[in-house]
Amino acid sequence: MQHNEYKKLIQLALYGELNADEQKILENHLTSCKECRKEMEGQRSLLNIISDSEKKEINDSLLHDARSQLRGALRIERGRRTFEIKNIFNLFDFINPPYRTAIVGVTTLVVGIFMGYLLISPSPEIRYITMSDNGAENVFYQQDVKISNITFLDSDASDGEIEFKFDAVKPMHFKGRIDDPNVQRVLTYAMLNEQNPGSRLNSINAMVSENKLNSDPEIKKALITVAIMDENPGVKREALKLLKKLPYDEDIKQAYIYVLSNDTSSALRITAINALFETIESGKKFNETDLKLFKEKSKDDDNNYIRYLTKTILQEYD
Amino acid sequence: MALSDNELIIQANNGNDSAFEELIYRYDKSVLSIALNYVHDSDDAKDIYQEVFIRVHRSLKKFEMRSEFSTWLFRITTNVCLTYKSRSKKHLQLSIDEEYESDDDNRRNELVSDNKDPGELASNAELGSLIGDAVDTLSSKQRITFVLKHYEGYKIREIAEMLNCKEGTVKKYLFDAIRNLRKNLNSVYAAAY
Repeated sequence: MQHNEYKKLIQLALYGELNADEQKILENHLTSCKECRKEMEGQRSLLNIISDSEKKEINDSLLHDARSQLRGALRIERGRRTFEIKNIFNLFDFINPPYRTAIVGVTTLVVGIFMGYLLISPSPEIRYITMSDNGAENVFYQQDVKISNITFLDSDASDGEIEFKFDAVKPMHFKGRIDDPNVQRVLTYAMLNEQNPGSRLNSINAMVSENKLNSDPEIKKALITVAIMDENPGVKREALKLLKKLPYDEDIKQAYIYVLSNDTSSALRITAINALFETIESGKKFNETDLKLFKEKSKDDDNNYIRYLTKTILQEYD
Repeated sequence: MALSDNELIIQANNGNDSAFEELIYRYDKSVLSIALNYVHDSDDAKDIYQEVFIRVHRSLKKFEMRSEFSTWLFRITTNVCLTYKSRSKKHLQLSIDEEYESDDDNRRNELVSDNKDPGELASNAELGSLIGDAVDTLSSKQRITFVLKHYEGYKIREIAEMLNCKEGTVKKYLFDAIRNLRKNLNSVYAAAY
């Protein structure tokens, strides 16, 4: 056996992973080999250094945070799943059972073909241009166009030609009514993607000022994402306020519950509990999981107002 | 008497959320510990922790109880660790591709300075940081193997089950990990040795 093989045995020995035979072989070798004894001491020394200084222990606070965030994520997960399953089944409820299976099968097939078409068919956004195009639409001749994300499809210039794709971004100026669904879609995009928190906030504020908010599901989804995920508490708060303008449903309730359960800002938790409290007045009900959270909050929340309001909600249910 | 894992799984699959919580709270500290020692960042560790249990929640109905729940759980944990991209992107991300695993170690070794004078390592925190950097330069599979073996104390057989590979492969990852750490921590190691 070569020294290199013994070195592997040494490492396994230090981790207690040798069987009796291997251990005996190694011990016999160590008695007669100074180099391998030195190697063993070296490896032991290295592992001791690493063990002494770097093991990161889990403290209660970290575990508590992780569990708390997980509970919130699971609530949303359960809410989403219930919503999806309920909707799928409701869709076919009106059909008699003997025909239901066949119709579900055909529907799945049609949806599958449609999805396949969407995936396989070329995207309408991709345009092929050549440098010989010199018309007004050729992006190379437009001064205000910014070119980015260049990806080479064929960078081999040996035949005199190369091929690449890129994004051509052109500044646009738009003036329109706030109740225009297209405007609201642009604002939705801005509140999700703009780097500048001020722009995100302006987008939300513009929508808050509109009483007839477009109830497009994408806008709802975007607002929920911002309310839960945005880095800026001010932006989160405006998103929570704007959610109140949409028809209340399970997704929106789960967003409020998530914020109440997980957000470190008491101002945001107060916004969430206020919104939940208002739903009682309009006759909405909470389930057992929600009530369990309110019970926890009525005892543990740092904020007096949240403890008071959760207690009040629980009293309504007594 | 406490319910077994499999009894809790049956209850959880029947919609009992408390049973699901009880089940995961038996192992979640280990999951968080693996994640934390893998990424060295508590926010990233919490992300991994959450992703692991969301996957468990989604897939529990498919778990056929042919293996221990813990084995299945830790396999998910290692998979999530191996594919995780740090939110702060401050950790070096290396491919888990097998070919890359076996390529030259020199490029990785360049990432950790071995020129530090041991006398300058004024505190354990500094030493810890140096070792953390050295561990971060390991390839994903070397790093997860090292964390599971060295910090979590799992047997090579158990790690092989988690990584879904042969014991010989785990030994190779571990051997390569130690060899690379030794090179990267040359100054510290030489001072103590």
